Amino acid sequence: MYLAWKELKQSKGKFALIIVLVTLISYLVYFLTSLAYGLASSYTNGINKWQADNIILNYDANDNVMMSYLADAEYDRVEVDGQKAKLGFFPAIISLDNAPADVDTREAIYVFGIEDNSFIAPDQFADITLSNGVVIDESIKDAGYKLGDTIIITRTNGDTLEWVIEGFTTKTTYQTAPIIYTSMDNYRLYAFGNAAVPVFSAIVVKGSVNNLANATSSILVSYTIPDFINTLPGYTAQVLTFSLMIGFLILIVAFVLGIFIYVLTLQKINMFGVMKAQGIASSYIAKSVIWQTIILVFFGMIIGLALTIVSGIFLAAVAPFAFNVLFYFGISVAFIAFALIGGLFSVRAVTKIDPLKAMGA
Amino acid sequence: MKTLIEMKNVTKDFLNGEEVIHALKLTNFSAGEGELVAIIGPSGSGKSTFLTILGGLQRPTTGQVLIDGKPFSQLSDKQKTKVRFNKIGFILQQSNLIPFLNVKEQMLLHNRISKKRIDKAWLDDLLLSVDVKRFEKKYPNELSGGERQRVAIAKALYHNPSVVFADEPTASLDTKRAFAVVELLKSETKRQKKATIMVTHDERLVDYCDKVYVIVDGVMTQKK
Repeated sequence: MYLAWKELKQSKGKFALIIVLVTLISYLVYFLTSLAYGLASSYTNGINKWQADNIILNYDANDNVMMSYLADAEYDRVEVDGQKAKLGFFPAIISLDNAPADVDTREAIYVFGIEDNSFIAPDQFADITLSNGVVIDESIKDAGYKLGDTIIITRTNGDTLEWVIEGFTTKTTYQTAPIIYTSMDNYRLYAFGNAAVPVFSAIVVKGSVNNLANATSSILVSYTIPDFINTLPGYTAQVLTFSLMIGFLILIVAFVLGIFIYVLTLQKINMFGVMKAQGIASSYIAKSVIWQTIILVFFGMIIGLALTIVSGIFLAAVAPFAFNVLFYFGISVAFIAFALIGGLFSVRAVTKIDPLKAMGA
Repeated sequence: MKTLIEMKNVTKDFLNGEEVIHALKLTNFSAGEGELVAIIGPSGSGKSTFLTILGGLQRPTTGQVLIDGKPFSQLSDKQKTKVRFNKIGFILQQSNLIPFLNVKEQMLLHNRISKKRIDKAWLDDLLLSVDVKRFEKKYPNELSGGERQRVAIAKALYHNPSVVFADEPTASLDTKRAFAVVELLKSETKRQKKATIMVTHDERLVDYCDKVYVIVDGVMTQKK
């Protein structure tokens, strides 16, 4: 490490350029990771909040919870080891009742109809006092929605319902849109026009599902929650796209750094040759090259990560940007590991240096 | 006088296609404590081949090299590297300094690698004796050619080797500085009881040497 550090200090300009390059690429990788994680979280926050294991849909819904309809009788017949909860699901557009005419307050949301004391109900749900009271994800505040506001929700036939915001929940989004939690009656009134219709969308299960095939009148399908998340429209494509970009950027860093270090090593062949002639072992020289690679990646990564954090602070309100220490750690380890693989070309070059040729003999 | 390095019945042949080139014909050589030995000869005569075999950078075709009475040329590359590190000092044409270490750090690199304790009194004595103590914080690019060669001499002697090899140590210097460097090499060789083998094409330097050998077409003969 001694020689590596000494050379870095002596040739600051040359190495600063490499650090800037690593910084820019690592910034891009950390930034994309934060964005990808934020986006993926906003797709699934509402589902993960359940802390459930399985979800049961109607087979004919073809994985789509929006198209799934189950009868109350089916809910009773499904047996589980653990807890089960009814979920009424429907997309909606809401607007503020008291908004000025020239202000557009329309927002796309998802309605989650739930029963009292259901394990999938957020804590704030218990505080609802009004029959048309709801709790909603706090991200709606950015659109001007406040506690106590009356919101207008329009049915597909043009009828409107009025709900009152009685609380806000955190990190409860579904496919990036806020979730409104309301009673099963309100959900049925909105989705079917009648609170007495004994229909809902899915059964959420904490634990395992038993006799699914035999005990019900229609065909039901049980999904594990991770499998269910993967069926969300666009989710897998989005995660794969980001993962591919991040993976390739890490590989690019490894190659670029490997090439830089290799060229620098080639420039020092005569010096290394003389050192070998003087009896300095190849392993010592190779370690110095490897340390130089690690130091360059380390500084580039630290600056890139700092820039990501600063960007995140400013962008959190306008972009689905989320920090994840575990991902950053994994990416940092991958950066160093791949950069070391790139540095191995230089190690090979060092071991092949013939001191005789390097000395011009 | 104790013999520090010996070459016994050494030859070195190279293959050039199907033709065998006898770069070094049957050679016997020795150098002892306090001896400054010059190897002179025209370009391509075999001087560098001789020096690199002596330094363990090439294997002889026949014969052997001994350092401090112990076989050297037959050792493995790893073992030879160790012997070179501990028992041989090198001074090269363009100086053998690492560009990003200052004068003092050049010396102490040996301690860092060997993890031996620094002998500050010895370091100061050496730097003073070659008159570079005042440059100890300077980097090679801040020194003149003569100053760099003086530092290279100090570096070659710092780890207290038995033998010092100097390959054209004055090639990049003007006459005045070249004489000064050889004088210094001689005085340090005597003072520290080393065997110094200097390859040069400059016959004006031989007056400073205890022994002089001439190599022509791979044949070495003693001139002085």
